[in-house]
Amino acid sequence: MEQQLGSSSFQGPEAVLNMQPSSSIGIAYHPLFGSHPDLILLELDDKLLPDLLLHQRVSLRGQPDEDAVLCTQSKTYAIKFVGTSNSALLVPPSHLYQLSQNSQHQEPDTIIPDDGKLIVPIIQVAPGNMELLEVAPRLDKLKLLLSQKPYSYEEALEDMEKDDKTGLYRWPDLVDMVQASNGELENGLMALSALEIDGYWRIVDEEYMDMILRMLLQNSILNEWSLDELDEDEVVSVLVADGFPCNIARHCLHVYGSKVVDGTVGRNAWRLDARRVGVHFARAILRSGKMKMDNFMEEWLRKIPEGMNVSFSMLEGEVLTDKFGVETWVYAFRVSSLPSTPAERFAMLFRERSRWEWKDLEPYIRDLKVPGLSSEGLLLKYTRRTQPTADAEPVFSAR
Amino acid sequence: MQIQVKCSCGGEKCPEWAIIELQGVVEVQPWYEGRPLHNLQIGTLCRPSSQENYTLTIGYHELTGSKVMLKKPLVVLQKVKPIPPGTPNTSNSSSPQVELDVVGIIRHKILFKTRPKALISKPQPVVKERSSSVPN
Repeated sequence: MEQQLGSSSFQGPEAVLNMQPSSSIGIAYHPLFGSHPDLILLELDDKLLPDLLLHQRVSLRGQPDEDAVLCTQSKTYAIKFVGTSNSALLVPPSHLYQLSQNSQHQEPDTIIPDDGKLIVPIIQVAPGNMELLEVAPRLDKLKLLLSQKPYSYEEALEDMEKDDKTGLYRWPDLVDMVQASNGELENGLMALSALEIDGYWRIVDEEYMDMILRMLLQNSILNEWSLDELDEDEVVSVLVADGFPCNIARHCLHVYGSKVVDGTVGRNAWRLDARRVGVHFARAILRSGKMKMDNFMEEWLRKIPEGMNVSFSMLEGEVLTDKFGVETWVYAFRVSSLPSTPAERFAMLFRERSRWEWKDLEPYIRDLKVPGLSSEGLLLKYTRRTQPTADAEPVFSAR
Repeated sequence: MQIQVKCSCGGEKCPEWAIIELQGVVEVQPWYEGRPLHNLQIGTLCRPSSQENYTLTIGYHELTGSKVMLKKPLVVLQKVKPIPPGTPNTSNSSSPQVELDVVGIIRHKILFKTRPKALISKPQPVVKERSSSVPN
C-alpha cells in the first residue's frame, strides 16, 4: 500500500531530539530535499551567541577580492570551511520548507509504508561547516586610505568645501573597506591620531603638526605657561588667534599631551609628553636623511623645549643607528610605517638589516599581535636565532 | 562591503534543528537511480530503551549511535538574495546586497560511528547505506 505524505505531516527536529524510549520514527527525504547552497552551518562559541542572536552585532566584512571576515563589536575572525566525509542529515523545523497549497508533487512511485509511523524529513546532507579563527584586525589598509589625502595647512586655509571627495573617507566608508570590528577600527584611528573633520576621518600631515606644535611652544615661552599644566581653553584661544582652526588646536594637545586629572573644577589641563615631543623633533630633523650621531643630538636637544627631559632611548622604534668605523649614524625608521602582519613585518625588518640584536629588534616587534601566538612563538616562527658564545648577545636573522 | 547577520528569530526563540550523522554515504539502489528522491523513506530511527542509545536502520544495515551535545553550537544561516526591482543582474557593488539570516541553531546530533551490522532477513529496500572504507 503506497501513501503519499504532504509536508504537513512531517515532524520537526523535536521528534528526533526528544525521542521517547521504545519508540521509532521514519527518516525520509523532504519533498524539497536538495543541495540548498544557500544554507550555511557556522560553528560559533557559546559566548558569541548573544551578540549574534540578541544584539545582532555580527557582520561579515570584506571587499569582493578579499576573504571575508566575521566581526563582532570588538573582534575579527577569519572564516574557514571545514568539509566532512560523514553524512550529516539535516532536519529542519517543520514550519520551514512548507510546500505551497498549489504545488504539484506527483511522485507516483513514492514508497512510504503505511504503518502510522511519524516521519522526520531531511532537507539536506550538509557538506561541512564554517569555523571561526580569531585574527588580528587588518588595519594596514586604514593607514593606506587615510594617507592618501593628509590634511594640510593649505587645505585648512581654503574656505570652500571641495567637491572632489576622492581619497576622503567617512566612518561608513571605512567600515566598508577595512576588515576590522568597530572597536578595533576606533582603536586604529586613535593609534593613527586621526581626526574627524567635516565628517571625514583625516590624518593631519606632519608639516602642519610641526607648525602648530612650534607655535604652541613659542606661546608657552611668551605666556610663561607650564608645559606640565597647559590650560586647554587658554592654549586653544591663543592658537586660534594665531590663525589655527579650533579643532586642530585641540588635536595638537591630544597628539602631544596627556590630560591631567586635576583637582581644579572646570579646567581641562594637559601635560606635554616628552617622548612624543622628542619623537616629533627627531623625525623633523632626520627627514632629509641620516646624520652623524653627534650632530643629531646637538640639533635635537636644541629643539627640545626648556625643562623637558629627553633621552635617546625614547626614540626606540623610531630611529636606528649604524656604525661605520668610529662614526655612528642615525636615521629614521619607524615601526608604525611597517606592515602589521607578522610575515610581512619580519620580511621588511630583514630587508632593512639582515641581522638584529634583540635590544634593537624588540621595539619593532613589540606591537605584533597574533591571537594565540606569544612573542617567543613569533620569533620561533619567523626568525633564526644564533648565539656565537654563551655570553654573547643572541642575533636574529631571516629563516 | 558589509553583510549584517540578521536574526529574525530572537535569542531564545531560535528554532533548534537536528543532525543525524553517520559515516559513509546514503544512496539509492541502482535500479532506482535517476528517479526523484522526494518523500522517499531513508530508514528508521529507534530509541530502544531509556538510555540515550539509538539505532538507525537503512536498508539491510543497522547502525548504533548516541545523542551527543556539540562542543560548540552550529548556527544555521541562510543566504537571502534580494530581488533587484526589474533591472538585469549586473555584477557591481551597486546591486542589492546578499543578506544572511539566522534560521536555526544546532546543539545536539545523533551520531552513528560504529560499523554497520548487516541484517540478513530483511526485504530489499529502495535506500541503502554504503559505508566508507575510512572511518572518520
